[in-house]
Order: sequence, then structure tokens, then C-alpha cells
Amino acid sequence: MSSGSAGTSAPTTETPAGQPVIQRQKRGRGPMIAVIAVVIVVILVVVVGWQAGWFKSSSSSSSGTCVPPSGQTLNGAGSTLVAPLMIAWSLAYSDSTVNYASVGSGAGISDITGKTVDFGASDAPLNPAQRADIPSPGVVTFPESAGAAVPIYNLPGISTTLKFTGQILAEIYLGTMTNWNNSVLQGVNPGVTLPNAAIVVVHRSDGSGTTFVWSSFLSLENATWASTLGHATTINWPVGVGAKGNSGVTTTVKSTADAIGYVDINYALTNGVAFGAVQNPTGNYIVANVTNIESAIKDANPTFPSATGDWYNVSVLNAPGAHDYPLATFTYLFVYKDPGVAYGSSYSQAKAQALVDFLSWIVSATGQSYSAPLYYIPLTSAAVTFDQATIASITYNGATLSACAPS
Amino acid sequence: MSPDNPFPPPTSQTLRRVSKWGDRFFLVLVLLATAAVVAVMVALVAVLVYGSREAIESLGLSFLYTRTWNPTGNVYGIVPFAVGTLLTSAIALLIAVPLGLGAAIFLTQQAPGWLRAPVAQLIELLAAIPSIIYGFWGLIVLVPLMRYDVEPLLSKYLGWTGWFGGNPIGLDVLTASLVLSVMAIPTVTAISRDSIAAVPRSQKEAALSIGATDWEVTRRAVLPYARSGIIAGIVLGLGRALGETMAVTLVIGNRNAIPTSLFSQGQTIASLIANDFFEVANPTEVPALLEAGLILLVITLVINIGARLTLARFQAGRGVGAE
Repeated sequence: MSSGSAGTSAPTTETPAGQPVIQRQKRGRGPMIAVIAVVIVVILVVVVGWQAGWFKSSSSSSSGTCVPPSGQTLNGAGSTLVAPLMIAWSLAYSDSTVNYASVGSGAGISDITGKTVDFGASDAPLNPAQRADIPSPGVVTFPESAGAAVPIYNLPGISTTLKFTGQILAEIYLGTMTNWNNSVLQGVNPGVTLPNAAIVVVHRSDGSGTTFVWSSFLSLENATWASTLGHATTINWPVGVGAKGNSGVTTTVKSTADAIGYVDINYALTNGVAFGAVQNPTGNYIVANVTNIESAIKDANPTFPSATGDWYNVSVLNAPGAHDYPLATFTYLFVYKDPGVAYGSSYSQAKAQALVDFLSWIVSATGQSYSAPLYYIPLTSAAVTFDQATIASITYNGATLSACAPS
Repeated sequence: MSPDNPFPPPTSQTLRRVSKWGDRFFLVLVLLATAAVVAVMVALVAVLVYGSREAIESLGLSFLYTRTWNPTGNVYGIVPFAVGTLLTSAIALLIAVPLGLGAAIFLTQQAPGWLRAPVAQLIELLAAIPSIIYGFWGLIVLVPLMRYDVEPLLSKYLGWTGWFGGNPIGLDVLTASLVLSVMAIPTVTAISRDSIAAVPRSQKEAALSIGATDWEVTRRAVLPYARSGIIAGIVLGLGRALGETMAVTLVIGNRNAIPTSLFSQGQTIASLIANDFFEVANPTEVPALLEAGLILLVITLVINIGARLTLARFQAGRGVGAE
């Protein structure tokens, strides 16, 4: 916007010479009302814009020939629990560059729903509402690793591993068992002198796959829990202190005497915090380790739904084996069933191929060998077979991709 | 003024011509800068409104009076967090204002000259410490201190008031308020100190000359004159307390319920958003969280505008306009 009147002199509406006019600015409500007016106008504009339908996306499809998938970049986001393993995988994998953003399971799910990543990761499967939100053509769900929730505690002076039953844990988290020297808790821990101290309950303050496992287990063990609180990634906790993330719970429990919390086993082990044995359905008290979690998943032998089906009720809790740990869980990946259709023409076949190749690699024996050193549980052979079939079912604009895989 | 003077004094005409281009350029620059600032503010409100639309539509006014936050049940209410935010900020100010103002008065009125500048700079440095550091300090130092030393005493001697009931574990509303007060003190002190220092000498001398004591000088001559600056300092301190997120999240106990005592765990609006935003359990929680953010913004704006109106009334009423 040029005024064009550069040469003309400014109009001279002057006060009598030399009389400076100092306009004292009135400080008052005028400017404030203007600001409020602007804000209101903006709100109106936004409302109108929203109703006019912002961000309409269009998609088209094109079919290409098989392109060797070299030099591709894949982006994933989600679960903080699986992040250490994901990072190890992305560093070790050389065919494509893999970036993983450890932003949390909820964000991973919204990112895959919003098509801003190539794969999403979550410790809990999609719940019905989240599943309904996924745009066409839908995602496949498959487990890429496994873990377990363990009860951690901080009782100064007690070095014996404490024993818990599901019933006891439920009552502690319901707020009905409030003291460490409770007779029931003392009863399953003969030989340990439990202190006369109030139990400080610590739970996750953010939504979490670990909370999902924990609350699912407590729902199985305690009818009151099942009917009032249920199982989800966020619980309307009746008691306790919230802490953010597995690491927040670990830190809070470690720094608070008489506290109890729950974290994924890899956090308990890497932080050296004491965790208790949990009674399994056969009555044995099991201290979680890689072997008994792996056998739990094998013995639970869950029936997998179809890859595009509803995974919300898949459970490997309370496995029947005498030495199985009862609080095992899968952690999941979500990938569009047909990336070509989902992301549109900007998504090349080479990229889709690279994605499938990477996913095949992480569920392979090589990929799974990274689990145990980081305290993750390698997939059972049944899960690997399922995953391979699922990954092979991923198509690009309807065309199968596995034939293109390099050797 | 002789007609052949080679250097006529500049008239307002010549001044205007010389500086016109520079002025225009400058005007455009500052206009752009202002527009950018306003645009950011507008975009902020727009994003919050746009994002929370679904929640506003489906929850309506119930969002403002519901007392539970349960994403799995699709129940969202701001009450526990609004209470948590206002309660922690109010307690923080109750502690920060007397301390901060007292320090400001000492530093400007009583302190020996060699002490004033170093202590004032130290206090201003406190304002520059990132909030997460205060949070760490709160978690590591203050929480155990409160749990084992302070709170049992409060519970024993003041338990009858009802404010100090329950099992004290250190991670609670009271500790969060204390951390917030420590964060607000430097702001209150620094701004009050500046405005008290700006009180003209004559004001004090006049009071002294009629035989006023130090206290009377401060109370009757200095504080009324510096009032607008002091209120500005308190409002800025309050702003810091209302919006503080990380430090609060670390020590407040993060419980989505209305606190029943100062030893209860609680949650502020800011800590709720920090806790939940990246791990929503239900897609409907995102708009609800954005609406919570919008309400925090409204609370902050209302308090700011209220403070400004109070200030304007003071200035109009007293005719004393100290900046």
C-alpha cells in the first residue's frame, strides 16, 4: 500500500506558532474496551470460520511402480514407556531414518488420527471412542513388545520383598486400607514387621498405559473397583498423590517414606526401587522378571482380534501358569491399513514400502533381541506370527507391498 | 530576527520536513510490531476458542459448576481446578505481600546505603530463576520439611480450625502455595521498591518536619504515594502465581478434587493441562482442556482488568498519579 503522495507537503493545520500542544493521554477504560471489542470480534470470526469448515482435506490416489525404498524418513510418536526400545531400534535400523517422538500414548493416538506420523505407539489399545475417531481406511493394531506393571514402595528399614494380593492393592488404591500394619497386609507378610504408618498412595496424574494395566488388574480382583472405577488410562482416583509419568511416580515414591506406587518394570529395575511380589491366580507370590512375564504372555494365549478389529479387551492379565506374573501387558503400534489411501498422493509407494520393511524388522528375531537388555519382554512366537501377517496385509492403494521388500 | 541571518532558527515546518521520511518509516515499524503483538494475542484466543468449541457445545454451562473431572465418563467440570488455582494464589499472596512489601520498605527507607543495591539485585535475580528450579527445590527441600516438621505442628495447634485436617504428607495445597509465594515475592519486592524509591524526597521531608516517626512517614506519606506501583507489583505477582505450572505440578499432589483442607492434594488449571494434555484418555478431553485454558485466561484477564479499574479509581479519587 503506497500512498503515492510523496511530494506533496503535509496539510498544515497548525496551532499558532510556537505553541506546543501536549495532548495528555487519558488513561482509562477506552483502550481496554477496544481490546475487549477486538477479542469479541475474533471470537465471532473464529466461530463463523469453524462453521464454514476450515481445514477441508482432499485426497487423490495414484498407482506407481515398485520403487526400492532407500533413503526414506519415517516418523513415529507416542508411548513414553516404549521410547527407550524405540530409540534403540531407530539407531540400529539403517535402511531408513526413523524418528520417534516420545510424547505419550494419548498424543501418539491423536497424531496417527491426525495423520501427522507414519506410526503411533500406545501402551493401551484404542478405546471405542478413539477407534471411532480414526479416519478411513482405518488402522491395523499389533503388539510390538511387552512389559508389566509392578507395585513399588518405600518403607525405610524393610529389606524383605513385600507380598501383595490383588485384593490388598485394590483396597489400598480404593482408600479402604490405609495403614501399613493392617492385619490383612501383615497376614500375607509374616516375618516382616510392618510399620504403624499411613500408606501414601501414589498414582499417575497423566493418562497412561500403565494405569490401564493396573486398573484392569484391580477390576479383575475387586468387584467394588470394577463397578465404581473400572479400567482406563485415566482413573477418577478416590485417594492418593498424582505424579507425572513413570519417572514421576518413581521419584515421588523414592522420596516419600511409606509410599506405594506402580510403574512399568523397566523403570523399577533401572531406578533400583524396591518392588513387591504379586499373588497370581494359582496362589503363588511372583516377583516380576523377564522370564515369568514372557511365560505369562505365552500361557495367557490371548485370542487376537482381526488386525483392524477392537483390541480394547485383549488381556494377558492373570495368566494361568503357576509361575506366571499376573500383571503383564502388551504395548501396541498403530499403522494405516493403506497409507496410500490414508495420506493421499504425497505419500510415495517407496515410503510405504520403507514403513513395512521397518515394522517387519522390529518384530523379527533381530529386532526383538533388543528387548531383554532394556527390560522389555520379547514377543511370543504366536504374537510374531500374527504381527507378520498383519504387516503383510498393509497395502498401497490396494496393491500388496511385501513383494517389493528387498531380500 | 534579522532578515539576512544565514542560520534562521528552525520553524516547526522545517523540522517536520527533515524528519518526515524517518518518521514514516519508524511509524510503519512500530505499527508492524504492535500488530504482531496484537495478532499473537488474538491468535491465542482464537486457538483456545476454536479448540474448545466442541466442549463448549456439548457441556455448556455445566462445565462451570461440575465438581468432577472424569474423562472416561465424559464428565468435565472446572470447579476443583478453579478452586485450586484461586486458593493457592490467594495463600501465596497472603504470604508474599507482607514479606515482599516489608523488604521493599526496608530496602528503600531503613537499609544502610551499602546494603541496598546488592540485596535489591539479589531479589531481582530470584525473579529470573526458572520455575522448574523452584519446583525441584520445593520437592526436595520443602516437601520433607513440611511433612515431618511444619505440618504436624500446624495439625496439632491449628487443627481445630478445620484448615489443617487430614494426614499431612507434604505434597499438598499448602506446600504449593508456599512455593508460589516464594516465586511471587521477588516480583512484589522489585516493583514495590521501584515505586517507593520514586516517592519525592519532599514528601518524606514534609512528614518528618511535622514530627512524624519512621512508621508514620511510611504509612502516611510514602505508601499512599506509591500505591499504584505497589498494586501493580501485587498484580504481577498474582499473575505469576495463577499461571505457574511446573513448580505446582511437582508439589501439589495432582488430585482432581476440591481440596478439603490445606493438607489435601489438589490441582490447578495450569497443572491439570500440563498433566493431562499429552495423555488424554478420551478424544473429548482435548477440547475440555482447551476450555480450561480459556477459563484460566479469563480469570487472569478479569483480575488484571479489575486491578486496573481499582487503580484508575484511586488515581481519580486522590489526584495522586505516581507511576
